[in-house]
Amino acid sequence: MKKFLYSVGLLYSVILSAAKDLVITLRSFAALRMTRTEKFVATLRSSALRMTTSTFLLCLPLWAFASSDKIVNVYLFSGEVPDSVVREFEAKTGIKVNYTAYDSNETMYAKLKAKKNPGYDVIQPSSYFIDKMRQEDMLQKIDKSKLKHFGELDPRLLDKAYDPKNDYSIPYLWGITGIFANSAYYPKGSITSWAQFWDKRFTNQLLLANDPREFFSITLLTLGYSINDTNPKHIKEAYEKMQQLLPNIKIFNSAAATSIIIDEDAYVGMAWNGDVYKANKENPNVQFIFPEDGFIIWVDNLAIPKNAPHLENAYAFLNFVMQAKNTAQATINYGYASANLKAKEFLPKSIKNNPIIYPSEKVLAQGEFQKDIGQDALKLYEKYWELLKISA
Amino acid sequence: MITIWLTLFGLLPFVLITVASFLSHDSRHLITLPFTFNNYLEILNPIYFKIFEKSFYLAGACTLLCLLLGYPFAYILARTREPYKSLLMLLTIVPFWTSSLIRSYAIMALIKAKGILNGILMALGIIDHPLQLLFSNTAVLLALVYNLLPFMILPLFSSIERLDNRLIEAARDLGANKTTTFLKVIIPLSLPGILAGSILVFLPAMTLFYIPDLLGGSKSMLLGNLIQNQFLLTVNWPLGSATSILLTVMMLILLGIYWHFSKAKDRQSLL
Amino acid sequence: MKRLLAPTYVTFIYCFFYLPILILVFYSFNDAHYSLIWRGFTTAWYQLLITDQDLWLSAIHSVFLGFCAATFATSIGAVTASSLFRYRFYGRKILHTSIFVLLLSPDIVLGTALLIMYTLANLPLGFFALLLSHIAFCLPFVVLTLFSRMKSLDKNIFEAARDLGATDTTIFFKIIIPLLWPAILSSWLLSFTLSLDDVVISYFVSGPEFEILPLKIYSLAKLGVKPEINALCSVMFVVTLIIVMTSQFILRKKN
Repeated sequence: MKKFLYSVGLLYSVILSAAKDLVITLRSFAALRMTRTEKFVATLRSSALRMTTSTFLLCLPLWAFASSDKIVNVYLFSGEVPDSVVREFEAKTGIKVNYTAYDSNETMYAKLKAKKNPGYDVIQPSSYFIDKMRQEDMLQKIDKSKLKHFGELDPRLLDKAYDPKNDYSIPYLWGITGIFANSAYYPKGSITSWAQFWDKRFTNQLLLANDPREFFSITLLTLGYSINDTNPKHIKEAYEKMQQLLPNIKIFNSAAATSIIIDEDAYVGMAWNGDVYKANKENPNVQFIFPEDGFIIWVDNLAIPKNAPHLENAYAFLNFVMQAKNTAQATINYGYASANLKAKEFLPKSIKNNPIIYPSEKVLAQGEFQKDIGQDALKLYEKYWELLKISA
Repeated sequence: MITIWLTLFGLLPFVLITVASFLSHDSRHLITLPFTFNNYLEILNPIYFKIFEKSFYLAGACTLLCLLLGYPFAYILARTREPYKSLLMLLTIVPFWTSSLIRSYAIMALIKAKGILNGILMALGIIDHPLQLLFSNTAVLLALVYNLLPFMILPLFSSIERLDNRLIEAARDLGANKTTTFLKVIIPLSLPGILAGSILVFLPAMTLFYIPDLLGGSKSMLLGNLIQNQFLLTVNWPLGSATSILLTVMMLILLGIYWHFSKAKDRQSLL
Repeated sequence: MKRLLAPTYVTFIYCFFYLPILILVFYSFNDAHYSLIWRGFTTAWYQLLITDQDLWLSAIHSVFLGFCAATFATSIGAVTASSLFRYRFYGRKILHTSIFVLLLSPDIVLGTALLIMYTLANLPLGFFALLLSHIAFCLPFVVLTLFSRMKSLDKNIFEAARDLGATDTTIFFKIIIPLLWPAILSSWLLSFTLSLDDVVISYFVSGPEFEILPLKIYSLAKLGVKPEINALCSVMFVVTLIIVMTSQFILRKKN
């Protein structure tokens, strides 16, 4: 009995030591030095060579997979880099892409914040998150000499306040947040502005973005403020007005918006232009509306987190997805405009001239770029947003 | 050996989470000094209290529905003759072992605006506009009942099955009619099963965060979602820990009640 | 009329149990991209499923994880249960109770507590974190299942074995394991399914390099209805069905 207990204990310690080996080899932890316990574990291990081998054999597939250099771990917004582009990248470079999708900036931020070495190589924060993460030393400075297509980017999207000179982020796609409505329930022209969202007829119907900045933009625009307002008084006013909107809100969802809109599980709400473009192809009743009181123009950026384990592969991935042909593929698939000016050469006329994806300068002038607002204001937004979500 | 294991993976995490619930956090550290009671004071804030109330209400409704649906079912099953009994039991166990995620997803497909339920109702002419069921508390309740019903049926079944038939016959002989027998003999004797089933339904109903996440709307935030939010979205681990601790305390109270009303041999049915 | 009431009710409950899943299987053959309106029969989603490397990889991860977790949980559980059964030692009652409490404690509490522990111990979230957590939550089930089975054993067998000079190890391997193997096997299968199905705990302790199937399904489901998941869920339903049937068959045969 005791022998058996001992051997089970041994097996367990072997696993623990294997776990520690993995930690050391994979992440090259400088801080983890040989401690007394580890020495003890090492002696145990040598006395049970067969045990160890069997455990390692068990873990072999994992080892082979984890210790390979030919991988890049990308963590992006759901549905922004087409599968076909990822497959092509893998075929051309032989680098395996581990693609994980997230549904909000907050999820991504929390996952990265939770560990010193989260293991991701490429991430895609929205502009205001770039600033936050840059200041918290979570992003790697980008060596632009390694980027072949930087010169092709739309100058309107570069050198913004959230990241001067684009030292930490590269614009990838840009889009618009406006109103969607199903014309079977709300005929064309019956909804023209955000201010109407407070109407009684929308009780428990609105689909709203799962994102504090976008969510607050509705009220700020209705109140006549900028979507980048930093005045605490104005933000508090917006929060109070938002409380009155709560009974009308059916769901906060950004990630699954396309299928919700198509399947008519919500008839009206706020949506990204790309989602409405996709939905409209399946359900022609779905319409995109540029609200009279203004709308949001946002930029999605690619960035490299600090301590990215496969830096060279991250650059290779960035170079590949930034190519005009490949960003054009993203535009065709998802309905968001490419940040690469040359991408238009690869787009069919129906998309290049689509007023939802590439609106005219005149329409765009009514919109407002989402800008960095500083940490204090952002924290205030987030605090109020959390309160609103909880008290909904 | 086992003591080490239990300390490491049973006790230690709970000690850590208890300690964490008394600490604070800042933007650079997940958990940091100083010691504080603020997290517990914050939970008492009416906003959080509302979530507790909503969770209690939904979980309670779910438990009651499961009990009402499950009791007759377990009763009929327990009174069925063998070979059929084993077969029926097996049919009840199968959904118990299929992934609850998949079952929730199935419910989602069922009640979508363009799903099969609305299709049938509209074809029958009962409604002319699709019911907006998905993303509401009703959807969450339905999915919870669907997922947790087997957890109610199994303990009920085993406690009804163990009922001594002679007691029922004795009641009859003493002149009790069917209703009285049921209310005064069968129900009190199967009380341990009822309690066990209720615990097994009530607790998960509050914490299965992926069900409100997939099927609920903006007004369906339950305790599980709150904890998930505090850990992974707002990254306020101390507050999340405090919420978890409150949940554990609640569980211990329920367990205490159950312990009080049951005998050692009944507790097997919790398995 | 009264005689029909009971069967009708039972049928109703079974319909409630099985209809949604059957509908899901039905839709997995539907030839439509987003909506759930029937547009003709197709096996395209299954073909897509077969070629989806990411899904296969996470499925392999899940099975591998379930295999390891079930094996370790069952072996540790067997030792625990037999020592709980055979020895009277200090703290035995406490141990028994704490296993019970661990069994009933909400998954989310265990998940968050383990997350805090791994973060403090600097253990990277990933395979080993998942494995340890899965062993931790499977263990109480195994111990209690085996323990309740052991109670039905005749204690005299052990006395007799000891009188004949058997050591503890011999008793464990020659008596306990052969007598309990159906229970051991079924608790292995139980742990395997538990590990394969767990969402809540895995959600907190998983990392980027080791994606598992339930979390993959969860993130896919969050992105809206996709016929490919219908196909995947149908396959998983059939697999679980086979596992449950097998375990029931083994148990019944031995009884």
